[in-house]
Amino acid sequence: MSQSLQKQIPLTERGHRVFDMVRKFARGAQEIEISLISTTGEYLRFGNNELGQSQFTKNRTLSVRLSSGKKQARTTTGRLEESFIQKAVEKAVSQLKTSPEDPDYLPMLEQQSYQTVSRYHTRTVEESAETKAGYVGRAIERARDNKLLASGVLGTSVDEGLIINTSGLESHYRGTGGYFSLTMDADNGNQTGYALSTFADITELDARKVSETALERAKLNKAQTEVQPGKFDVVIDPHAWSEMLFFFIVSASAGYSPDFGTRQYKEGRSYLSGRIGEKIMGENVILEDDVYHPLQMGPPFDGEGYPKSKLTLVENGELRSLASSRISAHRYQDAKATGHELPLPNPLGETPTNLVIRGKGPTKTTEDLVEELDKGLLLTRLWYIREVEPRTKTLTGMTRDGTFLVENGEIKRPVKNLRFNQSLLELFNNIEKFTEPVRNTSFTGAAVLEPGVLAKDFNFTSVSPF
Amino acid sequence: MNSTKDLGEQLAKVCLETASRDNATYADIRLVNTVIETVSMINENPASEESNDLGAGIRVLYQNTGWGFASTDEVDPENIRETTRKALSLARGAAKIGSKITLAKEPTHVASWESPRKKDSLTVPTETKFEVLKDATGRMKAEGVVARRGQIISTKIEKYFANSEGSRIYQDIAQTGAQIVVAAKGPSGIQRRSEQQYALEGYELIDGMDLPGKAPAMTKEVLELTRAQGLKEGRSDVIISADQLGLQVHESCGHPIELDRVLGYEANFAGRSFLTPDQLGKLQYGSEHVNIVMDATLAHGQGLGTFAYDDEGVESQRKYAIRKGKFVGYLMSRGTSQSVGEPRSNGCMRADTYQLPIIRMTNVSLEPGDWDYDELIEDTKDGILMVANYGWSIDQKRYNFQFNCEKGYRIKNGSLEGMIMGPGYSGITPEFWNACDAVCNEKSWTLWGTPNCGKGQPQQVMGTGHGASPSRFRNIRVFGAS
Repeated sequence: MSQSLQKQIPLTERGHRVFDMVRKFARGAQEIEISLISTTGEYLRFGNNELGQSQFTKNRTLSVRLSSGKKQARTTTGRLEESFIQKAVEKAVSQLKTSPEDPDYLPMLEQQSYQTVSRYHTRTVEESAETKAGYVGRAIERARDNKLLASGVLGTSVDEGLIINTSGLESHYRGTGGYFSLTMDADNGNQTGYALSTFADITELDARKVSETALERAKLNKAQTEVQPGKFDVVIDPHAWSEMLFFFIVSASAGYSPDFGTRQYKEGRSYLSGRIGEKIMGENVILEDDVYHPLQMGPPFDGEGYPKSKLTLVENGELRSLASSRISAHRYQDAKATGHELPLPNPLGETPTNLVIRGKGPTKTTEDLVEELDKGLLLTRLWYIREVEPRTKTLTGMTRDGTFLVENGEIKRPVKNLRFNQSLLELFNNIEKFTEPVRNTSFTGAAVLEPGVLAKDFNFTSVSPF
Repeated sequence: MNSTKDLGEQLAKVCLETASRDNATYADIRLVNTVIETVSMINENPASEESNDLGAGIRVLYQNTGWGFASTDEVDPENIRETTRKALSLARGAAKIGSKITLAKEPTHVASWESPRKKDSLTVPTETKFEVLKDATGRMKAEGVVARRGQIISTKIEKYFANSEGSRIYQDIAQTGAQIVVAAKGPSGIQRRSEQQYALEGYELIDGMDLPGKAPAMTKEVLELTRAQGLKEGRSDVIISADQLGLQVHESCGHPIELDRVLGYEANFAGRSFLTPDQLGKLQYGSEHVNIVMDATLAHGQGLGTFAYDDEGVESQRKYAIRKGKFVGYLMSRGTSQSVGEPRSNGCMRADTYQLPIIRMTNVSLEPGDWDYDELIEDTKDGILMVANYGWSIDQKRYNFQFNCEKGYRIKNGSLEGMIMGPGYSGITPEFWNACDAVCNEKSWTLWGTPNCGKGQPQQVMGTGHGASPSRFRNIRVFGAS
């Protein structure tokens, strides 16, 4: 079975039929927007050397936004039959009458033109479950041969979205994605190794390499000894720290609110408020939001259909710009829309969605970075990261699945897992060398391109018993 | 006539006949109809959304060896037949790399159940909810305040379950929740105060929370926090408030007793557990004051982990995980219970509409002890009171944890003194729970709702319940935000 076996009316055709129905029922609304999203996924999930949790999922969501004056309302339904659409629209009409006015409401967007992105790969869609099960089977075989247990997931997905409104906007996106995440372990996780690969086109996937990386790390990561917590120079694998970077752009202090948006910045909700032009990290770090990067994923437009611009958020260590939107451009004289709005109404504010973090100058491989580390730790995976303090962006979290002591450029021995309490801004100030960025999928599902790094003085505060 | 139930009966017949015809060992189907209304205010900006979703998840076991699962939002007989075949196809593939699966016996249940609610939250006008939030966030306005947030979430889940053994179960579940947050900026950066509760209740929960009434005191506190002292690193006795301790139970007890992670099925993401089967009945997990139950029954309270039947048709139950400090039980499923010698699952399989059921927490709660809260404070000579969670982190086997709180107070000679900004504590799970020497009684016990527990690949989000009362722990590592 493959994801292409579904009988489907093209989403754009279905979207227009749905839009006509919505218009029919949206009595009293001055403006109408629909967004139709379709997601299918196939996940071969395995644990204990068994393929035990395979699943195929398919669902579509219709979201309707109506407005009248400065009032707006949104309803969403998973049913596309006329009677259910009618019910959803009538609910929105009823809410529209009683909703408070939104002081930031702007008329809906007219038709836009977008830079083309090509992110739909038929090979990902058509790859058979048997072939994918073969990749998993070979990983399990390698684990068994080495008296290890394999667990993980090989997932592929197809995402398609369409926005249409009464001002003439029509925005359509279709893309594929996937990932192979693999752990090999033994002795109740006391011996363990991890590897991850993400892809848009499944032919990019080197399943053998994923298996061999997890296996090699698991073989090395056995009979760990303790090191005393304290400051260590570290090499962080490029796949190890996407969760950490999520907290760079989102703060817990204002109730999990994005930080790099103009509205939050101006309202003082962001930890970056008042710091444009300030050096916030090392001069060798470049932070961009670039949906057009060849490794990036997702549509070239935002939640209201506005075209996304490439942003240089941090350059030469200096905070240069912020994600913005039509609302901010309307509110603030010095802001212009950049295409980083979330679906409206959105009281949270704007956020970058396609982060690219890279270093200035020539890059190295992770192996090079290890060779250039005199004494320190190689971190292959960081886990369960949360904000401790927003001003310095101090985060806490754990290492897992392979932490190695490196001396004179060689891995000497595995060490027990460590907890860190580390300021992210300080870490960005202490990076000496970078690898090329790789595509990671953070736990929110947004794509982040991030490099591996060699950094000084990473702060570990306690040790786990394993 | 109930349409979700009627449709469920019709589709179950199609699914189970298809599975049987194609030689499935076992099959079940869940038809889930979910309505969620979210009403929010951030500063002056309102937002509301109501979503309605209806979908089916079908699980098939083939040759007692391979599971397959498929879901669809096209809930007509033809698509259900097709989706059942997709699940079967995956099950056949899994059977090639699987080992024998034995499902623990469960009586056949034919039942309907409606969760209690006094006032249906979805029929309370959206306008009323906006008024409550505008009132609450309006009362947070003050010099230095940078974010005023409020949210009310009303959920109704209708679920029809049928399996090839004859169970036919309809459940109608109402959940309501709210959160308010105020953040202020001062010399110590941005500080936060928040209040939230989520429960198996109707709008009476929101009426009882009195969000506007709480807002002024929270605002005063957050402004005080921006000028408050931090906490120096060291060791101290701590009293942990009920809400924070509920999350501590979730992370350091609820997760490590999930039997699927113990058996290695979650090793790649959620992780494993230090509570291995050889420790069952032997490990002194905590002190004699520590009693933790896994209880999905209504008798335990109206929590997010309360239901009549789980998502593989097992009746809700109450069991001990920790009794007088000793580790005695796991959260289990029909496919795992026999691996630890239990003949019956204790009913912990849960899922969202489109994903495979996995073992999840129900209500995992610390039972109340004997102490009055005031007496506990009076009895503490030198300590720290930790209140309201800010951040939480724990290693993948659930040993090494760190929690940060929004606020704290010094306790000196039995009295609360100055407020502390961002206090934190950390430790190793069994050492921490063995340091517990006092648990407050039922007068200060609350069943808290945790609406956002993540597990599985792709990740599923589930609501869980955690009862706790303030408790004291001796000689704990404490520290503060700088």
